[in-house]
Amino acid sequence: MSDVKTGKVIVCDGNEAAAWGACLSRPDMVAVYPITPQSSLVEYLAEFIADGRMSADLMDVEGEHSVLSVLHGACLAGARTYSATSAQGLAYMFEPYFRTPGLRLPMVVSLVTRDAVSPTCVWGGQQDAMTVKEVGWIHMYCETQQEILDTIPIAYKVAEHPDVMLPVNVNHDGNYLSYGVARVELPDQQVVDSFLGEKNVNWHACLDPERPMAVDPLTGGSGGVGPATFVRYRKGHCAGMQAALSVIEEAHADWGRRTGRYWSPLIEEYRMDDAEVALVTIGSMTGAAKDAVDEARLDGRKVGIVKIKTFRPFPVQRVAKALSKVRAIGVVDRAVNFGWNSGPVYQEVLAALYHLPVRVPAMSFIGGLAGADITVEHFAGVVDRTLRLAAGEAANGPVWLNEND
Amino acid sequence: MGAAFDTIAFKASLCDGCGDCMKTCSEVKGGASRLAIVPGAKEGGFELAICRQCGDPKCVQVCPSGALAKDGDSGVIGWDAQKCVDCLLCTAGCAYAGIAVDPQAARVAKCDQCDGDPACVKACPTGALEWRRAGSLYREYGDKEDLFVPGLSGCQGCNSELIMRHAMRKIGRNSVLATPPGCIPGMGSVGYNGKTGTKVPVFHPLLTNTASMLSGIRRYYDRIGRKDIVVMALAGDGGTADCGFHAVSGAAERGEKILYICVDNEGYMNTGMQRSGTTPYGSWTSTTPVGEHLKGKTQDAKNLPLILTAHKCRYVATASTGYMEDLYEKLDRAVEASFEGFSYLHIYSPCPTGWRVPSSKVIEACRMSVDSNFVTLWEYTNTAGLRFTRSPDNPIPVVDYVRTIGKYRHLDAGQLAHIQAKVDEQVALLKLMAADSPSPPAAHRAPGGGEAPAAAGSLSGPLRQEIARN
Repeated sequence: MSDVKTGKVIVCDGNEAAAWGACLSRPDMVAVYPITPQSSLVEYLAEFIADGRMSADLMDVEGEHSVLSVLHGACLAGARTYSATSAQGLAYMFEPYFRTPGLRLPMVVSLVTRDAVSPTCVWGGQQDAMTVKEVGWIHMYCETQQEILDTIPIAYKVAEHPDVMLPVNVNHDGNYLSYGVARVELPDQQVVDSFLGEKNVNWHACLDPERPMAVDPLTGGSGGVGPATFVRYRKGHCAGMQAALSVIEEAHADWGRRTGRYWSPLIEEYRMDDAEVALVTIGSMTGAAKDAVDEARLDGRKVGIVKIKTFRPFPVQRVAKALSKVRAIGVVDRAVNFGWNSGPVYQEVLAALYHLPVRVPAMSFIGGLAGADITVEHFAGVVDRTLRLAAGEAANGPVWLNEND
Repeated sequence: MGAAFDTIAFKASLCDGCGDCMKTCSEVKGGASRLAIVPGAKEGGFELAICRQCGDPKCVQVCPSGALAKDGDSGVIGWDAQKCVDCLLCTAGCAYAGIAVDPQAARVAKCDQCDGDPACVKACPTGALEWRRAGSLYREYGDKEDLFVPGLSGCQGCNSELIMRHAMRKIGRNSVLATPPGCIPGMGSVGYNGKTGTKVPVFHPLLTNTASMLSGIRRYYDRIGRKDIVVMALAGDGGTADCGFHAVSGAAERGEKILYICVDNEGYMNTGMQRSGTTPYGSWTSTTPVGEHLKGKTQDAKNLPLILTAHKCRYVATASTGYMEDLYEKLDRAVEASFEGFSYLHIYSPCPTGWRVPSSKVIEACRMSVDSNFVTLWEYTNTAGLRFTRSPDNPIPVVDYVRTIGKYRHLDAGQLAHIQAKVDEQVALLKLMAADSPSPPAAHRAPGGGEAPAAAGSLSGPLRQEIARN
């Protein structure tokens, strides 16, 4: 498109890409605490601020609990805010994390996803992010370094939309994306500025002597207006999540018009037009999945992929529709749902499939835990097993992809 | 807020009968002393005979010539020598022997409080006489806007409401107030279901993140040039000393410009009187009960303000509602310091419900806690070091204080001895710190309290002057 300006091209890893995404979004405050595999991300932020490339206040605080807490205060005072964390950091942050969406604070926090202790590990996996899926944040998972960078300004646009006003986690896989290096195009600052427009983050709840109000009085209980008041807040939160589905699509489209990069906002359908079986993927594993599907297609096997980009709110209708024509589904997770003996995305997909008039057989595959690779060969195995499922072989599982590696 | 006046207070336990006060009065006023130290009812003790400047003065009623009249501004009952007919009826009318007779002049001689600067108090070497300015303080703050609604549901006798209302009257509307979970929001400050009890921006932080949220607020307002807002907390001891300590310590280490007031009632009183890190040794609480095997808390309290001095904060002070003048002065300095760095004010405040103290005895308990050194009143700045604002010398035995508090009812002699030893140890440490501090101990008046400290000026730096406060 003629009005698209190509920015400067750099080569960087996913953490630097995230830092650039944050930098270009011009937050007023960045709070940091290091944790593997996020650490280099916050080092980049500190470097940008030290070098004057970024004008945010840098809050080097004593732990992730305070990372989010200082940003709560700043956001209620009117600041655009950013941070990033992983695994144990997210666990330590959980108390204020739990509170953020209820306060309707439109923050953006990157989760550099990592498997959770114990067993003690410091490597990629999505157990951290998947564990907090019911807290009420918006969750978007990125596949590439460029998508990480682009999704962060998009996330601000979504978070600060008056119909949404919810915090967003922009998630990228620890190790594979955090440290993996690729070509990344930096959008011009003015492109991001005009995309985001003026911030207004605390019109609904603020701590400002010029607009005195009590933020978060005790709400609920069994008497008086308590029950109805509490329901009004929870229902409003759900409405904000549902409103986000279309806002996320609009924001991605708007970003595409300005940069030429159109990312699939909710789900990406890859070679699904005539697919007879589908894999469901999330995050960076999708690259290997696409290679495996391409190879299967060369052999005449009609396989496609549905990649989940927006996991919360879950795009139920989109997922159900995309999977409505296939005869079997293999869902690949990088985390465990202990309560169901499966992957968490698998359970989400099953719930979405209930909206279809037919029952489509599905199986859960779990791989890539604690930094393990999910290779093209692993995905070839998933394709084979899903095709056998379509052919009538009974489902079993979950299948642990790295069990014999 | 009604009529309240400053007064000369007398503490019989500190008086050794030296008579310096009488001598000084006589010298300053000429003629007979207006006050008299007389033998007390207790063997070897003394009492003070002085005009009480009564609110319903019998002397004024009996005066036939209109020579005695109560001044509406100062509260002093003035004597007009021109009108007086020397009938001496007033001396008989006063039940307190408060009006003296000068035998040489054969005229009455009564105290006029030396226009608010009584010479006798300054002459007293033991601190038995004190000039208490609570009256004028209450009147001054009574005229300021109360920033909480009427009817906060605190327990009867609790001083938290007093601290909240007076602190916010002083600080005013240009503030952001955090009240973490505890008694203060429990009594309705943040409010319930859409209604609030506070007129300034107020919020519940988490119990654990008060100082961090305030840090974010302050930094952003500084960033956008609104540097004159007081960003503050009225927090409890549990959230400050225990689960929120990481945030307090972090903010103090970073020198965040916030005012953190900790109202210490020695436990988690709002949730039902459980033990906290600041609960003193021996205390009964609902989680350190008294039974056959347990006899209350077995560990000593964490001295939170002392820990904060180790962070080299801009300002750290302790205060007690038993000594409001001292508290008010520290509040002023704490607010000023909060524009320059981390400012921490620790106010000891008994919980009548949880401590098993009658509501009517709370202020008395506060005073005895200070008089026994169980609570010490001091302040610290990172430039002037530590100094006592009330002398710890000549304390009453800690057991006298402890006996007034129901939660210590079970203590045995060994436990009492432990508490006394711990108090002595703390005082010895504070004295060492005070002796090591740059400001000379002579700068404050020993042994009384209430005088503006010499170090106060050190906080009025150039930065402070740049800040145009509303």
